[in-house]
Amino acid sequence: MLVAPVLRLMGEALSGDAGSALGTAADGLGGSAWLQPWLDPYLRWRLLWSALQAALTCGVVLLLGVPVAWVLARYEFVGRRWVLRALMLPFVVPTLVAAIGVLALWGPQGLWAQAGGAPLQDTPFLLLYGNVFFNLCVLVRSAIDALEQVSAARLAAARTLGATPWRAFWRIEWPAILPWLMSALCLVFLFCFAGFGMALVLGGQEYATVEVEIYTLVAYELQLGAASVLALWTLSITGACALFYSILERGLATPLRSDRIARRVPRGTAQWLAVAGALAVLLLFCLAPIAAIVLRAAVAGGQSWAVLWEPETLQALVNTLRFSGAALLLATALGLCHALATHHWAALRALAFLPLVVSPVLVAFGLLLLYPGWTASVPLLIAAYALLAYPFVAKSVASGLDGLPANLQAAARSLGASPWRAFWRVTWPLLLPALRRGMAFAAATAVGEFAVTLFLSRPEWATLSTLIYQHLSRPGAANLDAALVLACALMALALALFLLIEWPGTDPADPEEHHA
Amino acid sequence: MLELQAITKHWRAPGGAVRVLLKDLNLQLPQGQTASLLGPSGSGKSTLLKIIAGLEAPDAGRVLFDGQDITALPPEQRKFALMFQDFALFPHLDVQDNVAFGLVEQGQRRALARAQAVAMLQRFGLGAHTRAKVWQLSGGEQQRVALARALITAPRLLLLDEPFSALDADLRHSLRAEFLARITASGMAVVWVTHDEVEARSVGQQGFRLVGGGLVREW
Repeated sequence: MLVAPVLRLMGEALSGDAGSALGTAADGLGGSAWLQPWLDPYLRWRLLWSALQAALTCGVVLLLGVPVAWVLARYEFVGRRWVLRALMLPFVVPTLVAAIGVLALWGPQGLWAQAGGAPLQDTPFLLLYGNVFFNLCVLVRSAIDALEQVSAARLAAARTLGATPWRAFWRIEWPAILPWLMSALCLVFLFCFAGFGMALVLGGQEYATVEVEIYTLVAYELQLGAASVLALWTLSITGACALFYSILERGLATPLRSDRIARRVPRGTAQWLAVAGALAVLLLFCLAPIAAIVLRAAVAGGQSWAVLWEPETLQALVNTLRFSGAALLLATALGLCHALATHHWAALRALAFLPLVVSPVLVAFGLLLLYPGWTASVPLLIAAYALLAYPFVAKSVASGLDGLPANLQAAARSLGASPWRAFWRVTWPLLLPALRRGMAFAAATAVGEFAVTLFLSRPEWATLSTLIYQHLSRPGAANLDAALVLACALMALALALFLLIEWPGTDPADPEEHHA
Repeated sequence: MLELQAITKHWRAPGGAVRVLLKDLNLQLPQGQTASLLGPSGSGKSTLLKIIAGLEAPDAGRVLFDGQDITALPPEQRKFALMFQDFALFPHLDVQDNVAFGLVEQGQRRALARAQAVAMLQRFGLGAHTRAKVWQLSGGEQQRVALARALITAPRLLLLDEPFSALDADLRHSLRAEFLARITASGMAVVWVTHDEVEARSVGQQGFRLVGGGLVREW
């Protein structure tokens, strides 16, 4: 499902067809067709822009995210736990919904334009803002985890040796959290570089990424060879990035420090201003697009809400639930097996990340090339959904397994439990929260899936995502309103599924949950 | 009686280097006796306990109990209890279910096992905490829960891996006498691993030091 399509993609790219498919510019280049994207100014700009927007996003989230994370990790204030929960929101919101949120806020008919702001359409701002919406929380969560591992004793030692709070941050905390930040930035780069939905809706003609170009070449221009060459380059860059990430990640598996730094209640104006600033940043970048959708949909009027009862919408809802439900079952089984089987074999574990490295567009394109006769079949579609969703289950269960003290299983064995009974009575109940968390993310991913559905499904299999895209592609304010209402519904569905599976505060083995 | 005959165990470092951890190690421990096992960190004390408990297999040698060779017997069939340094209490179970765990594994009905656990906890002065989560207890209370969990199944042998190292010095001192009294009352053989010489001498009728992979009798 994954390796074969990628190999097929590579085969297509390296075969002679690619050169001819690239058109006249490639004539006379012979075997160097695979270099063509770098020789053609238009394609070169696509590749370079994809990397540039990803790098710019990394810079912005680093500058905004570290101070926000520091405030959340060091200060205790009312509602802090809810802010931490809200940081999960961008992980649950489907890409297309987020893109519409950005449009509702900053687009030509958005709140900003209505307030008389300068037009932002056809600038890179929309795409960059969308990227920051999704990725700020990735960095903030990672930085909070890292800051919580900083040793209180070392920080205290630095202070007694004469370091000011700022110097202590710079000399003790920053070096300690840097590997975590690097690893988070690697992920951010990967997500942005290989992003599709955001770039398709927000990039426009000028600022679309290489993934959008691949989609255009396949779906509209039928230039499979040229698309394969681009895909190969994308794969090389994301592959290198993922390799770097896995190397960084390996160094991070240190146990939790016991001498954690205690959070303190902010005192004085400056500290409260810092908290207010952090909340304002999160509000502006992570909550505003979601609020904008709800607001715009609410004022859209009853006529727009009627879209929810159209047969087309109900069919899309049924399709979404049908595909996601089947995919979730498959992804859970796959993820569990993968995590349990690779618990002692680290090299294989990295395989679970492959679907994250190979973007949905490339997976779908590879499947299209490999199984042309199967492209419009439900099993293939569901398998592709499951493939994209199962890494969440595998990763969550694997880290759950890592977090279990080895001696619990040993204690159960020494108390008379057989290996299977020890698994059933000790390991399994302790793994359940991790499994639920992974399933929640997998469900949110499946419900909001867009790229694969766009590639592989038939018109009558439209899901809520593709239906939103259809409305968005049609001209007129009524269609935008319909898209907003549908986006609202899809977001509610994703959120409801997420909460249904991962209901907050039900983790039996999480002391934080019960102490607070 | 516990008998270890020529136990040998190698340790493989992540780089591939192999070190001899235990070499031709022998021990005889009659019922009702406590053996203190001293040795620096990394000398193989915990590994030896795991071999006795059946959680690790020796590379060579035999483990016998009352004359029966149990080297290949899985841990759940040995009827030994091992108490861990950090207690290894199950965080998803409350105090009474932690203590009842072994009884349920022996096939006892849950309600009956719980009732026995509650009675045991009352004897251990923890009657007020039977429904508490284990992380809500203090270090000393957790230690008593771990001991209650180890003793409730009336094991044939008790293996203690530095049972006081997670506690502060004051608590360690005050709990040791109570702990010893409970173990003595149970009348079983005990292997007590520690790196604290004073503790070792106060608890063990026999004392051994793990040196160069073998046991040297100290008293």
